[in-house]
Amino acid sequence: MYNYNFINDDWFRNMNVNNNSYINNIVNSKLFNPTDAYNYGNLYSNLYSQYKNYRPTVLTAGNEKEQLLLDLSRIAFAAHELNLYLDLYPNDESMLSLFNDYRREANSIMRQYEAKYGPLSINSDSLEKGPFAWEKMPWPWEERYYV
Amino acid sequence: MFSYNKRLQYPINIKKKDLRMAKYLVTQYGGANGELGAALRYLNQRYTMPDNRGKSLLTDIGTEELGHIEMISTMIYQLMKDATLEELRAAGLDSHYAEHSRALYPTDANGVPFTVTYFATTGDPLADLSEDMAAEQKARATYENLIDLTDDPDVIGPLLWLRQREIVHYNRFKELFSYYEEKLTKDNSKIIQDKQNSIKYSPFYDEM
Repeated sequence: MYNYNFINDDWFRNMNVNNNSYINNIVNSKLFNPTDAYNYGNLYSNLYSQYKNYRPTVLTAGNEKEQLLLDLSRIAFAAHELNLYLDLYPNDESMLSLFNDYRREANSIMRQYEAKYGPLSINSDSLEKGPFAWEKMPWPWEERYYV
Repeated sequence: MFSYNKRLQYPINIKKKDLRMAKYLVTQYGGANGELGAALRYLNQRYTMPDNRGKSLLTDIGTEELGHIEMISTMIYQLMKDATLEELRAAGLDSHYAEHSRALYPTDANGVPFTVTYFATTGDPLADLSEDMAAEQKARATYENLIDLTDDPDVIGPLLWLRQREIVHYNRFKELFSYYEEKLTKDNSKIIQDKQNSIKYSPFYDEM
């Protein structure tokens, strides 16, 4: 429309050469693995900050259903953390590739869960057979959700 | 549009009733630094962000905050479940019962209903993002106060987790703020050099 590109990535890269600030911290930071990241609530080890002497909860599953849900939550969380990062650094190819690995894995675990235990999303193929499982399945604030 | 996923972003499974804690925790639902205010703040500010970085980040963090509302609501619901009238009265929740029975309602810890005056939108990306950074810090501080008020690990776990999300969001907003600030400063110097064509050098020209 107008010949002015606000998202000028050459400009952005140059800026970071000159003032060697935040982007380098992020790119060089070590990422937690999805399991630790999910326990901590943070994928980026350089951003992690502990409160007093509280250690994060180590989540474990009590049954097979819970395990699959936990696996999904971990991988989907890692993908979400990369999503927020990529919003600001859309040209970071290595983070994009990691995002896509996690995204594909999360989709695959979600399909497994839904085939076994019912729909998490209203788009699920598991809704084809009746009775309408969206209504039948427990809601996530209910105790029986995890059983 | 939004679509619902039938799972919490982080699991909540509180086994012990604690009405005092429910009364304090509700502030992260409908209080000044709560998740409802956060979601509405970002989802209202996103339309006037000057570029796609800002629109994407505010949409995605605003959406995550909707999930945090659900986590906090779930915690309050589970902490209050099966409470007797006597227990509600003892915890000072009889006034809540008078209007809402055991239903959820967004208020602060003193029962003051949620109000949109808890957040601002200015249309100015630096002003809006400064507010967002402050909001994340205030929510982090509130989560720390709430952690201090309980010794139930089923409550502390999710609160530590939500506190950590405030830290990540704060840093993302700070990065976006620095990016816009640098961009604006650089382009303002161009405007001074070439007043006649200044409109072309406005950093947000293509968005007008």
